[in-house]
Amino acid sequence: MSRNLGGLLASKRRQRHLITLGRVIVSILAIAYAVFPVLWIASASFDPRNSLAQQRLIPPNASLENYRALLNNPLQPFPRWMLNSIKVSLITSVLAVIISALAAYAFSRFHFRGRRSLLLTILLVQVFPNFLAMVAIFLLLQQIKNYIPSLGLNTHGGLILVYLGGALGINTWLMKGFFDAVPRDLDESARIDGASDWQVFWRIIFPLVRPILAVVGVLTFIGTYSEVLLASVLLRSKENFTLAVGLWQLIEGQYTQKWGIFAAGALIGAIPIMILYLIAQDWIIGGLTQGAVKG
Amino acid sequence: MRRRTQTQQGFTYSLSAILFRLFGLAVIDAFALWILPQMIHDRVWYLVVLLVVITLGINIIFLKEEYYPLRWMSPGLALMILMVVYPLVFTVYTAFTNYSDGHILTKQQVIQVLSQRLYLPEGGESYRWTAYRSEDGRYALWLVAPDGRTFVAFPGEPIQPADPGQGDIGPADEQGTPTHIRDLRRLDRIQVIRYLPDLEKLEFGTPPHVLKIRSLDEAAALQPRYVYDPQQDAIVDQQTGKVYRADDRRGSFVAEDGEALTPGYQVFIGAANFQRLFRSPALRGPFLKVFLWTILFAAGTVLTTFALGLFLALVYNDPSIRGRKVIRSFLIVPYTVPSFISILVWRGLMNPHIGVINTTLEKFIGWAPPWFSSPTWAKIGVLLVNLWLGYPYMMLISTGALQAIPEDLYEAAEIDGAGMWQKFWTITLPLLLVSVGPLLISSFAFNFNNWNVIYLFNRGGPPMPGTPTPVGHTDILVTYTYRLAFASGGGGDYGYASAITIIIFLIVATITYFQFRYTRMWEEISENV
Amino acid sequence: MKQRHIWTLLVILVVASLLVTACAKATPTPTPTPVPPTPTPKPPTPTPVPPTPTPQPPAAKLVIWADENRAPIMEEIAKAFTEKYGVEVEVQQVGFGDIRDQFKVAAPAGEGPDIIIGAHDWLGELVVNGLLAPVDLGAKKEKFLPSALQAFTYNSQLYGMPYLTENVAFFYNPDLVPEAPKTWTEVTKVAAELEKAGKVKQGYVLHQGDPYHFYPIMTAFGGYVFGKDKDGNYNPQDLGIDSPGSIAAAKWLDMMVKEGHLKPDVDWDTAHTMFEQGDAAMIITGPWALKRIRESGVHYKIAEIPDETADGHPFSGVHGFMISAFSENKLLAQTFLTEFVATEENMWKLFNADPRPSAFLPVREKIDDPDIAAFGLAGKNADPMPAIPEMSKVWEAWGNAITLIFQQQEDPETAFKNAAEQIRQAIAGGQ
Repeated sequence: MSRNLGGLLASKRRQRHLITLGRVIVSILAIAYAVFPVLWIASASFDPRNSLAQQRLIPPNASLENYRALLNNPLQPFPRWMLNSIKVSLITSVLAVIISALAAYAFSRFHFRGRRSLLLTILLVQVFPNFLAMVAIFLLLQQIKNYIPSLGLNTHGGLILVYLGGALGINTWLMKGFFDAVPRDLDESARIDGASDWQVFWRIIFPLVRPILAVVGVLTFIGTYSEVLLASVLLRSKENFTLAVGLWQLIEGQYTQKWGIFAAGALIGAIPIMILYLIAQDWIIGGLTQGAVKG
Repeated sequence: MRRRTQTQQGFTYSLSAILFRLFGLAVIDAFALWILPQMIHDRVWYLVVLLVVITLGINIIFLKEEYYPLRWMSPGLALMILMVVYPLVFTVYTAFTNYSDGHILTKQQVIQVLSQRLYLPEGGESYRWTAYRSEDGRYALWLVAPDGRTFVAFPGEPIQPADPGQGDIGPADEQGTPTHIRDLRRLDRIQVIRYLPDLEKLEFGTPPHVLKIRSLDEAAALQPRYVYDPQQDAIVDQQTGKVYRADDRRGSFVAEDGEALTPGYQVFIGAANFQRLFRSPALRGPFLKVFLWTILFAAGTVLTTFALGLFLALVYNDPSIRGRKVIRSFLIVPYTVPSFISILVWRGLMNPHIGVINTTLEKFIGWAPPWFSSPTWAKIGVLLVNLWLGYPYMMLISTGALQAIPEDLYEAAEIDGAGMWQKFWTITLPLLLVSVGPLLISSFAFNFNNWNVIYLFNRGGPPMPGTPTPVGHTDILVTYTYRLAFASGGGGDYGYASAITIIIFLIVATITYFQFRYTRMWEEISENV
Repeated sequence: MKQRHIWTLLVILVVASLLVTACAKATPTPTPTPVPPTPTPKPPTPTPVPPTPTPQPPAAKLVIWADENRAPIMEEIAKAFTEKYGVEVEVQQVGFGDIRDQFKVAAPAGEGPDIIIGAHDWLGELVVNGLLAPVDLGAKKEKFLPSALQAFTYNSQLYGMPYLTENVAFFYNPDLVPEAPKTWTEVTKVAAELEKAGKVKQGYVLHQGDPYHFYPIMTAFGGYVFGKDKDGNYNPQDLGIDSPGSIAAAKWLDMMVKEGHLKPDVDWDTAHTMFEQGDAAMIITGPWALKRIRESGVHYKIAEIPDETADGHPFSGVHGFMISAFSENKLLAQTFLTEFVATEENMWKLFNADPRPSAFLPVREKIDDPDIAAFGLAGKNADPMPAIPEMSKVWEAWGNAITLIFQQQEDPETAFKNAAEQIRQAIAGGQ
């Protein structure tokens, strides 16, 4: 009996070791897969030859020339563009999270007529391959400019407004799914205590769904941060450019692409996203604990 | 049901809450009413409609109790109507117009553009000029005709022959040009350029003798070449007398002999774009092949990215893993780098001649996939690159969604003796699909139209031989059909492309709708939990 | 209770709206209507004595769209103009490939620039849309390269002020190829010898499926894209993709691939890297690659395109300044170009910022960079890239045909004949 138990424990330990080993291997492989192509982008950023076709990971004449060109050019104020991007993306993602959380709460908790059709509409409207959106939105902001200048063309306000148009889309779906998983007994008991819908939402649901809010926030941030098409149409003056627009202009011309500088910019530009994600993870993981759900 | 309990609570709204709501509405309405008259004055009707729809909608939602749930989504809905629905309506409208190169302006704009074209009628005078300007911004010209005669011209006054030193005209300098005219001082070259924005808009003299500045050297009796006659809705060429009647079905001003003026204008052409699409050789060609690949591509992308993303999310969901935060941050790296560089880097890595992946494979196993010349491998290649681009997104949302699965479900399952695999299939996956399912649907729809990857990786190649229109083996519906709209027709044909968009949307929407019906199932699962 | 609130609301609304509309009326908000809806030509202004004194110069502003490469130098030029004449000039940086598309949207909306810097082959599209105003260079006209002016002429009307020309030329590595080959047969021979001796991977390198770089070979075999009428205008009805010369070039390409002298799946970047590393001895490329080739340290010489049965020549592209038909200050814009940009000083600045052969003769004739001069020589018989809208239907089909030959999916004759068929159908279908 006792020998048997000892054997079981030993095999459990062995199993745990195996799992750890497996995880180490998976981690190494996964990171290699994720980072490998990016290493080549890094390689291009150190290569003064301005080429993406590298044969060696460490370019022959490796130098910081591209980084210097990127950071020390007053006519291409890269640091400023990066700040613009962070500003626009942060505001957009915070507002988008609030807007979609409010909607998701209603979708999850109120069973009203037309609820599913509205959900479907929100989904379908987002998947419309709207290549003319650019033209329509340009004309729209151009008119809005005449009435509310701070939301018109060539303003960050206008750009944020445009980005927020998509706030309701897939985010609402994602959040609703998560909200659904929060047991209704929680709201009910709070209601019995006399809480209003708003109080239920703000005091009970909101803290519990932090993980998904953080996920939506991160997704929106990244999506906004890297958006080029609309930003390059709506932003005119260089001071207002976002990072993505500035970088895009380095490589969009045929035969005049500045791959080296672009690569350097892309890498530096990725840093804020990674920091944000590192921070957001505390929220993503730390939200729904067992105890809280059961209340 | 739930809603009813809510309305019952309606009367428990505190007075301050109600006042707050009404105050908010008043502010919104006041704002709308402030802007509306200006918009009406400017005749921007579509904005008027948008503003009225949104404002009325907000009022109704906030005043009628039965729309209570919509209050929560009103900010999102308003923004969606403004920034997503309106552009969508714009595209649908465009699909029924001839909006394309050669027809991008409105009729009004075409008339405006044409009426700006000037010509010098036969025997029309042309002069060298010198400009004069008064302190208060009045202008005059000193004109020298080719035969040496000199004149003075003011806007709105007849052009008069004049000599320097005569009357109120100042004495001549060495070049024979007066120094001033009346109280107007002569402008030197630099000043002329400074005041050119004024000068180029002025017409000197009185009809029929009107002069305009044509260049820094020359002023001439220029006449508009094209004059619009609203009576016969036609443009008359003043130089030749030719009459171009508006053809509102074609969107051009057309003469009797069939000659059309450029530019043409935008008109409503009904379903012509759709007819053209259905008659297009593209539909006769390898359409089915392209369509099947599109579905395979979209579904394959969703499946592979979700599988990998979920796998990684599960692995790092265990808090006992050291450094998992940092590892996760590294794993989303593909999502943080602009895809237009990473796709091209992948292209480079997969290059058969110098790509690291291929040269390494050849070194060790003596063979490497022909990513760019074999139709099958090209498809696999695109999917692989798209997997790399897409899995971080799936990992992010899966990580978030996993947090919603209560631990105690697993504990209960463990007590029942369920293994890891079993727990995954019976608990994790079904519950996860509740929240992630719709995202998979939208990801499918997104990839259905994922132009970027296809275009940047291989431009749809390798090409298929012997097709009626150019097409490649990895072309998906959008890349294939948009090519028709932009590479055929008169350059960019936006009306036609919009029609294509609508048809593709109908296809995607149908697929999405059927997928959506499954989410009801998922939802029921969650409600039973 | 409910009713009372509706009344309160109504009262608030009425008061608020009254207040607001009153305010709106009191302060006439300037609402610029960019496109005046009434297009009637302005009546002659009968205001002889305007009473309000306006001592300030008119608040006109020129807006220029330039791409990231040219914006800095244009900003410098614009600043000098503002200093000298007191007219504000704003340079907005727009991606080169985006200028055309965004101009088409922005110009009619009244948000467009006064001047754009672009390529001559945009003319067809922009003129057909009524977006460009004619340009009158006046006496300055003589100072420009006639062929560049020709390129900016559409329907016998000049629509731009050219400032640089560009075309590809034949590069060879003198360490491997002592003398520039005169014919493509010679290129084949030299390539075969070099490859046999193991000195290079590929004697001559051409990236796959790019019609622009294949065109010089096609002309050397007597091929063409669109025939020209007697005035030198391209005739869209005379498509030459399946002409005997073009097919002869396709067959040569097929032979090169079959014999292993040209390899499939080489892209532009790879081809250049090969040349730069000495793995290839000959390549056709343009001035945009000069910088990287120079920095690679490889020895190179630039020659004219080899001939075969005809004179091999490339496409030429001309870049220049165009004026918007929707500009409020066309004359000012034109004056800025003719009086200020078209000077030796500023044309040199433009040249130094982006060394490609200038279209401004006083500069072009004094360029002492032998490479640039060699490009000029290689482009002396160049065909301007067709600006007619039909050209947009050619690229894809033509490129696919070349790729199919590279990949040996189709025999050269079938590939080019089918491409021509696709193009003809697209041109016919577009009418």
